[in-house]
Amino acid sequence: MGRPGLNRRQLLAGMGGLTIAGSFGFAALGTGADALASGADTRVRYWNLFSGGDGYNMIAMLDSFRAEHPGIDVKDSTLQWGNPYYTKLAMAAAGNRAPDLAVMHLGRVPGFSPGRLLDPWDVDLLARYGVHEKDFNPDLWRRAVVDGKLYALPLDIHVQLCFYRRDVLKKAGLLGDDGRMVPVTSTDDWFAMLKEAKKATRGGLQTLGLHVNDLNIQWWMFVAFYTQLGGTWFDAGNTEVTFDTDKATEVLEFLRRHITDGYTVPGAADAEQFVNGAPFTLEGNWSVPVFDTAKLDYGAVPLPPVFGTQATHAESHAFVLPHQSDRGGTGNDAAHRLAAHVVTHARQWAGGGHIPAHTPTLTSAAYRKLKPQSEYVSAMDHQATEPKVWFAGSTGLLAQRIGPVVMASTAGSAKPGTAAGRMKNVLAQLLAMKNPMDGLTAAEGGAAA
Amino acid sequence: MTTASAETVVAPARARTAAGTAGVRRRQGFQHGGWFVAPFLALFALFVIWPLLRGLWLSFTDANISGDDANFVGLDNYREALRDDLMWDSLGHSAYFTLLVVPCITVLAFGLAMLAHHIERGAWLWRLCFFMPFLLPSTVAGNLWQWLFNPGTGMVNHVFGIDTPWLSDTSYAMLAVVICTLWWTVGFSFLLYLAALQGIPAHLYEAAKLDGANAWHRTVHITLPMLRNITGLVIALQILASLQVFDQAVVMMDFGPGPEDSTRTFVQFTLEEGFTAYRVGYASAISIIFFVLIAAVALGRMWLLRNREEGGR
Amino acid sequence: MTTAAAPVRTRPRRSWTPSQIVLTLLGTAVAAVIMSPLAWAVFTSLKSETEAVEVPPHWLPKDWTGQAWSAMFATGNITDWFVNSLVVSVCVTTVVLLVSALAGYGFARTEFRGKAVLMGAVMAGLMISPAVLGVPLFTTVQQMGMVDTYWGMILPQCAPAAMVYILYKFFQGIPRELEEAAFIDGAGRWRIFFTIVLPLSRPSLAAVGIFTFISSWNNFLWPYMVTNNPDLMTMPNGIATVMNSYGIQWAQLMAGGLMAGLPLIVVFVFFQRQIVAGVAHTGLAGQ
Repeated sequence: MGRPGLNRRQLLAGMGGLTIAGSFGFAALGTGADALASGADTRVRYWNLFSGGDGYNMIAMLDSFRAEHPGIDVKDSTLQWGNPYYTKLAMAAAGNRAPDLAVMHLGRVPGFSPGRLLDPWDVDLLARYGVHEKDFNPDLWRRAVVDGKLYALPLDIHVQLCFYRRDVLKKAGLLGDDGRMVPVTSTDDWFAMLKEAKKATRGGLQTLGLHVNDLNIQWWMFVAFYTQLGGTWFDAGNTEVTFDTDKATEVLEFLRRHITDGYTVPGAADAEQFVNGAPFTLEGNWSVPVFDTAKLDYGAVPLPPVFGTQATHAESHAFVLPHQSDRGGTGNDAAHRLAAHVVTHARQWAGGGHIPAHTPTLTSAAYRKLKPQSEYVSAMDHQATEPKVWFAGSTGLLAQRIGPVVMASTAGSAKPGTAAGRMKNVLAQLLAMKNPMDGLTAAEGGAAA
Repeated sequence: MTTASAETVVAPARARTAAGTAGVRRRQGFQHGGWFVAPFLALFALFVIWPLLRGLWLSFTDANISGDDANFVGLDNYREALRDDLMWDSLGHSAYFTLLVVPCITVLAFGLAMLAHHIERGAWLWRLCFFMPFLLPSTVAGNLWQWLFNPGTGMVNHVFGIDTPWLSDTSYAMLAVVICTLWWTVGFSFLLYLAALQGIPAHLYEAAKLDGANAWHRTVHITLPMLRNITGLVIALQILASLQVFDQAVVMMDFGPGPEDSTRTFVQFTLEEGFTAYRVGYASAISIIFFVLIAAVALGRMWLLRNREEGGR
Repeated sequence: MTTAAAPVRTRPRRSWTPSQIVLTLLGTAVAAVIMSPLAWAVFTSLKSETEAVEVPPHWLPKDWTGQAWSAMFATGNITDWFVNSLVVSVCVTTVVLLVSALAGYGFARTEFRGKAVLMGAVMAGLMISPAVLGVPLFTTVQQMGMVDTYWGMILPQCAPAAMVYILYKFFQGIPRELEEAAFIDGAGRWRIFFTIVLPLSRPSLAAVGIFTFISSWNNFLWPYMVTNNPDLMTMPNGIATVMNSYGIQWAQLMAGGLMAGLPLIVVFVFFQRQIVAGVAHTGLAGQ
């Protein structure tokens, strides 16, 4: 070891010492590099679960807000959709480190223990920023109110749709004079139509995308068609399961038949197949921007009323205020202002296929011009939703437990009749289960929710 | 966590060296030794012992994530757990994963180490190549393989000219996780084997050569017996780490339970109960069950080791 | 014993014998297979987002572009996470080295009441990890008000029984005579520890330090449980749980992954010898 080695060693030791000191200093400060760098007066931390086209639209809306309010620094974070998001949100609220504003599915609000993990909106403050109850679908607003307080501010509803390729259907003679898919009112109609469409479909493509491997979408399809049959889940007091296994079997057999009759290939990339020329796919309205980008000649209608009545599965994105023990002040004010801005400027949001909750936007000429949005706007009036209980809501406990059962039936690993029985068991189990947040079952907590 | 992370790595080396030094222990004149261990013990008590006791207490309550209103419920959580199909299923998935990973990784790591040990040129290059995947975070490995297994745009199907729905079919999903795990963690066991190979005294081989033993005989009669201890260590570490698999499985399945729940592991199940269903009490009971299981495996190995050493003498 | 020089000569002799050629070819093939996923990540990160998802896939980018890398740095999260990872790993490594060296020495060479019981507890601690007791550990940290803080991430990683155990074994192997000589000269226990024992154990400390750094840098589970605020996330956690608002962009995801892996790969390239020696040295390799 000569002198140069020693010098280099000293240098390394010095650098190491600095890194260690710096790290401990940083850890002691505890705010994170980004917050340290931010110089704005007011900082709003806003969490969402939007990616893809939705993420793009949300950022555009945030940017317009930022341009109007340069004093407010909006720090938006997009987390992985579904349970990881809700887990993070709940844990942040439980650990009292919640963001100022967050997005949540309306169906999840009862399970998020309003008052404990969520803070109520200040309705007067919202009104000052241009948001009034009268501008919303009353059903939707009612779902956002718990114990007389507003816990969620609805942004949209999003629905399951039947997407169709206009070019393929035209070839099959399945387009009406208005250029829309011919109406379907029974399962016979439906399968007759698929049969025709299959003939006009290029080889190697399936006829209908059904997302057989997606437990959420399978469950949502079930909710829609089961509601069409007039099926119910629980009695009014949430004390008894009223689930009708005969009706459920009928729906499950209907879903299964798409595969046994060869219209659907399990595991196929449904959206890609549709882009490549498959005539139909059943999916959420969030695929609208995908198909727009691909410049397809296509249309979209609510899930066809094959069991007689109109109903399609609907959930709703809403803004919530995660619980902060010291909520208030400028951060809270800015959160109200931001949410109000986004809700009332939802025209951009509708580009993602969602149906805006804010009625003035919904009835605007600009929205009515959008295609295919205008074709399915009626879905607002025929919403099939999950029961309003603590374990329901998008990707909630109910979907997690019952979705795999629907999926197994559609994929053929369980008989529809057996699966319907298992679904009823799941519902009974969940009904008996206590909400871990308040120790109450759905029946006991039903009045609150 | 299938990284046999350094934390768990070192444990089983103990039984071998302990016997040798015990006899030499002499009492020294220092009474304030407690101060040396105090900082560690403080951290250990706070973040290991206390959570264990707290978990035990919580497992008898219906505690939730918000941290208040816990009621004593006796053995209800345990009773529920033992009847919970989801728990048994997820335990089965973790066990199945372990069963696939452990033998494969042991054989692969041994093969790679033999290869790297016997090639005379560029020792550092082989070491680097075989070990490098282990240096990636588990989530990066998961993302990478999720991308490689992607049915349309991924390389795996393309290279082999197949059309396998790796991540969406129940019969392949866990296999995909296993392949990712093998690729990612084999480097660690490889390094253990390599170090052991380099520790085998050269004169043993020389002597055997003089006796006319060929390469095959030398491997079977010298290398393999000399590697018996390290193989035991590798297998034990892999079993413990594999039972705790979580990271790569959830990342590859977008934090879901995989097709028809086929990749939901035990750790994932615990976290889902605790943090997604908010049932901290129930999740604690499951954790305690898991702890007992892990402890049984570790104690079983210690017992085996002791028996073997006594029998060998 | 006829040719005592033989073992010495085996190393420098490097002729291309047939068996060496076969082995080297085999090694190259295996290395290629192991490295190909990484190569695929590198190439993907140098494609445009549209080229990255082309069907069928191809290895080399048609248009080489650094857009994924520059976009990744432009959105900013990655640099935050990098700093967070560094802060957490450095703090963890420092505390672990300090605490486990002291404890290892205390257990190996000093006497105090209850030592055997405590040592037994440490052994039991080897079986506990956040994977096993994550939920109770979280509630403990929650009670201390450390959810979503650096300390909440750092401190629970700072009580690794395994590291104490390695150093305990190592200190037991240091000849007592070295210490006794100093003791007779009037040196105290602490001085002996810092001036004699620590310098002797540099290789073991290096091995413990490097392993601690690697496992802390790559740790996903615990930071995933205890951090929700994306500003405070570490690399592995951020990459897995925070999405780009524009959806999964594979080129950027691969670039991010490589960024997360790069520091450790560099560390390994530079300290390869020490790491491998450390594995053997600390008795990991049995014997």
